[in-house]
Amino acid sequence: MAHEAVAADSQYNYDIIKRFAVMALVWGILGMFAGTYIAAELAFPFLNFDTPAITFGRLRPVHTTLVIFGFGGSALFATSYYVVQRTCQTPLSSNMLAGFTFWGWQASVLLGVLGYVNGYTQGREYAEFVWPIDLLITVTWVAYFYVYVTTLMRRSQPHIYVANWFYMSFILATAILHIVNNLAVPVSMFSLQSYSAFSGVQDAMTQWWYGHNAVGFFLTAAFLGMMYYFVPKQAGRPVYSYRLSIVHFWALAFLYMWVGAHHLHWTALPDWTSSLAATFSILLLMPSWGGMINGIMTLSGAWDKLRTDPIMLFLITSLAFYGMSTFEGPMMSLKSVNALSHYTDWTIGHVHSGTLGWVAMISFGSFYHMIPRLWDTRLWSKKLVYTHFWLATIGIVLYITAMWISGIGQGLMLRAFDDYGNLAYTFIESVSFMHVPLVTRMLGGIFFVAGILIMAFNVFMTIRTAKREQVEIEAKIAAKMAKVGA
Amino acid sequence: MSDNNTQQQGKAVQTTGHAWDGDLQEFNNPLPRWWIWTFYATIIFSLGYWIIYPTWPYANTFTKGVGNTITFQNSAGEEVTTHWNTRSLLIEDMQTGEEALKQKAYLEKVNAASYEEILSDPDMMAFANSMAKVVFADNCAACHGPGGDLPEQAFGLYPNVADDAWLWGGTTTEIEQTITHGRNGFMPAFGKSLNDEKLEQLANYVLGLSGHSVETDKAAAGQKIFQGQEGGCYYCHGTDGTGLKSQGAANLTDAVWTVANVPGAVKEEGKVAAVKSVIKNGITRQMPQWKSRLGVEQIKLLTLYVHELGGGE
Repeated sequence: MAHEAVAADSQYNYDIIKRFAVMALVWGILGMFAGTYIAAELAFPFLNFDTPAITFGRLRPVHTTLVIFGFGGSALFATSYYVVQRTCQTPLSSNMLAGFTFWGWQASVLLGVLGYVNGYTQGREYAEFVWPIDLLITVTWVAYFYVYVTTLMRRSQPHIYVANWFYMSFILATAILHIVNNLAVPVSMFSLQSYSAFSGVQDAMTQWWYGHNAVGFFLTAAFLGMMYYFVPKQAGRPVYSYRLSIVHFWALAFLYMWVGAHHLHWTALPDWTSSLAATFSILLLMPSWGGMINGIMTLSGAWDKLRTDPIMLFLITSLAFYGMSTFEGPMMSLKSVNALSHYTDWTIGHVHSGTLGWVAMISFGSFYHMIPRLWDTRLWSKKLVYTHFWLATIGIVLYITAMWISGIGQGLMLRAFDDYGNLAYTFIESVSFMHVPLVTRMLGGIFFVAGILIMAFNVFMTIRTAKREQVEIEAKIAAKMAKVGA
Repeated sequence: MSDNNTQQQGKAVQTTGHAWDGDLQEFNNPLPRWWIWTFYATIIFSLGYWIIYPTWPYANTFTKGVGNTITFQNSAGEEVTTHWNTRSLLIEDMQTGEEALKQKAYLEKVNAASYEEILSDPDMMAFANSMAKVVFADNCAACHGPGGDLPEQAFGLYPNVADDAWLWGGTTTEIEQTITHGRNGFMPAFGKSLNDEKLEQLANYVLGLSGHSVETDKAAAGQKIFQGQEGGCYYCHGTDGTGLKSQGAANLTDAVWTVANVPGAVKEEGKVAAVKSVIKNGITRQMPQWKSRLGVEQIKLLTLYVHELGGGE
């Protein structure tokens, strides 16, 4: 069997995966640096140097776009192309279209962020791309969908492996979300601005239906696909429960679509909509945890691997953070908790326990597994993987705890009354209180960026070693051939 | 490959029999008990929630929630009972909440009292300070600084309200007038009507008014311009330079500077230059009116707060 897999290896399109993997790291470094910089701006406002292009308002979408779509998106393209080929034992159906998805996606991300720093934005959170870029993304995504589905159809296996269900649901849902939320009428043919097709509270509702499902399908389902391949592969053990994977997949896919309105509690949104979203968020808790259980329990009986394998550490820690943030999320979606947490840093902390803890950590682990295999070599340094792991983990812990203190603290200050029934604190007092947590959060960011820089160095050295080895082998073969010839 | 049926490490649980990419397999463990039961618990919680709160849409309305109503007074003073909703919840809380009632009792007391009565009642003043502190910080501090004491970088733009110099008057009536209707601070520019030498003389005189050491001959010449028709400064600032509150003209004898950055200058020439620049270029600044943003009670309390902040008159 192992023999078969090796034989098929040479037919897979690894080029496209390599390109996406490298770009994921490039965007990841830039995006996380941008994030750390705006974190520093919030703690020390003079850092915007009165320059519009680098103010918080413009750099914030640069940060989110680079990390979600640049880093996360490229990591998903890379791993999904890797997983679909290997689990279907067939090369991609079209190398040309796959190549197009690469250039289409990279161009969208690049043009998007160049637009933001120059002030061109649609003003929709996580969907700031102006309409021409939205169109480019749509075309790219259709090509992705086509390549993925036709590759699946050419599989040599009768059954579709579970990771592919998750990737498929991500591709399908993202297409629907992207198209509906970006329905807009351009101001004119030559204007980058447009009017949304929706107005008022419907517009807000559409935006958050998109926003939360971007979390659900882009940042959760897709990365669960990654988890379902790389965790059992790295552990060398079967997935814990097929049954659980079916039940939690369908529950997740069904329930996520309802919960977006929990971003709009206590607003003009009708209360019944808000209640539905809150309860469906609670219902979502266990289906979310299904993925965590399946991942962590896959390691059951081989826990010792956590002591010897830093890649496994990344993967399992990411699942722990995934479990924590998918517990925190439903709690925050309850109206009474939301009344305290909303509009404070608690939300920011929650998002980052998911994105840094889950999304980034599972991607790092998967990359450490995949990259040596793509270049047919071994990781240059295992020690540096450990270093990266600890830097990232310390960074996340600093980040999340700082945001809990800052968010819950501010929330409590803003609702505190004095003996006369008056507000006890002014807004600016709550801002002053946040200074120390904001500095701590910035330090967390610096740790995390240091980690990915070390990873990039390790990956660079791995690829360089692989190329050198390749040259040596070729020279040896040539020498041998020459000898034989002589 | 699909017929592969490996038993893993002697476990009783079987894999599904499929294998992908060489060694990728799946056990078929049953769903964890605690997982199922917790899932059921979340369903029961949701069912309860759906019964109590407005939730499911049907036809052109929605389920209103059972046994969960809110009663409040509408704007006509009638008592209204409605199904649970966040808007009514807020109104109810503003009308009958514990904190709201405490505040209301004080507000009624303050409303009925005159400024003098409040100023002489420590309890009412404590309430006024507690409420106005937040109103001031959220509305006024952007220009005047969080404590009414000017932030350094705002020097020249906005007056300091924490000192006891009052451009437009420091009595409660005058402060209330200022907050309610706003003020337009204006001094004409003399750069065109007076040459540099005369501006220098005037500046020396003005600095001398507040006890700065100046060049006496220049100051004497400046006095003539100030008190004569050439400068006409006395129209607003008075012959003795003590100002005119009805015009917002500053008292030049009190050594309080809000536009000319005299305290910021180290040397005498710098101080003269600072004053000269103001005379040359004039002043145009505005404080907006607040009557359309703040309620009558809030303005009354703010008036008291600002009055106490800067040693009112």
